[in-house]
Amino acid sequence: MKAIFEITDRYLEAGDCSALLYAPLDEALSYRQTRRYTLDYEGDQAAALDFVSKTLLDEVGQELHQGEGAALSDYLFAIDYGMKPGALDLEKEAVMSYYRNLKEAPIVLNDLKIEHRVYVFGESKISADRFVSDICNRAIHTWTVIEGKE
Amino acid sequence: MEKRPHALLLKFPGTNCDAETARALEAVGFSADVLPISQVEPSKLEAVDLVVLSGGFSYGDYVMAGRLAQLVSENALGDSLKQFRDAGGYLLGICNGFQILTRMGLLPEGSLIHNDSGRFKCNWVKLKKSGLKDSPFLRALPDEFELPIAHAEGRFVTKQASEAEALVASGLGVLTYAEDINGSFSQIAGLQDESGRVLGLMPHPERFMEKAHHYDPDWTNVTGGKHGSGHYLFQSIFEEISKK
Repeated sequence: MKAIFEITDRYLEAGDCSALLYAPLDEALSYRQTRRYTLDYEGDQAAALDFVSKTLLDEVGQELHQGEGAALSDYLFAIDYGMKPGALDLEKEAVMSYYRNLKEAPIVLNDLKIEHRVYVFGESKISADRFVSDICNRAIHTWTVIEGKE
Repeated sequence: MEKRPHALLLKFPGTNCDAETARALEAVGFSADVLPISQVEPSKLEAVDLVVLSGGFSYGDYVMAGRLAQLVSENALGDSLKQFRDAGGYLLGICNGFQILTRMGLLPEGSLIHNDSGRFKCNWVKLKKSGLKDSPFLRALPDEFELPIAHAEGRFVTKQASEAEALVASGLGVLTYAEDINGSFSQIAGLQDESGRVLGLMPHPERFMEKAHHYDPDWTNVTGGKHGSGHYLFQSIFEEISKK
């Protein structure tokens, strides 16, 4: 079974997009970053949610969104990026190692995909390519651009 | 031979302040051992007076600072740290250790999230003791003192800002920044639990043991003491445990 969870920060406000790029932008765009976890698992849905809440979520400082839909709205575009399948993802390995050492695992976790999502907000005709080239590392990352709704 | 208070420092992959923290503890009179988390089990807490979680980047701060260390510690120790505290033991969490203690529920509910600047901060800060509740870790320190900070996730938040205000008003927010450093609610820099035997703080006392550690060569201790502020934090808890 597959389940997608997106985690947003409750207290972090949108930052200036120029902070993401090697050269500052001429226009005022802002961004927010979230994390998306895709679990490939066997077991109870509620147990999966409980595992995610205890392992990946800070209930004080973050909010959990379940499902494929975007956690945030009114964005210009968003970029999902994560490690290539063959690249060593230390964060994933750390979580999987914790899971493998659980005495009584609540679910059978076959795989975990971790992606960072960058939402860009504002009025602009700027292409996402510039953000992709400055944020993603072509040697180790895969990425997807999600266009915002008109 | 007189038995010295014993401190046990738990070391996770990525903990990197354990050696200097052990040296700081030994400088005030403790005997100190550093124990990798892979070797930790409840029986290792026997004959320990103070458990210290020192600074660093446990598990690379993956997922969030302190989360994996919390989960791995709970797997290894279960409720043993709570039982250790309830039996009269003391716990100190410095920087990453504060993040871990908070996530373990050994300190009042809250979280340490990314600084509001979104950047790692490494500088000296002025701190204020609340003074509303006695803290065995802070007795030998003046009402205001300086320590260095070095963190990316040091902004203390609660579900509602009023909860942080209540922590300061109740005296559990034992240390506050004299000015807004990282966006912490109520400028909280350190917390203790109701028993007073658990303290977590973001600044690094082990980095200011001697006057020479201060950036200002002319710095003098307002209390007339010959050491840096960090020394008096470790001395306070040493004296507390020694008198038992």
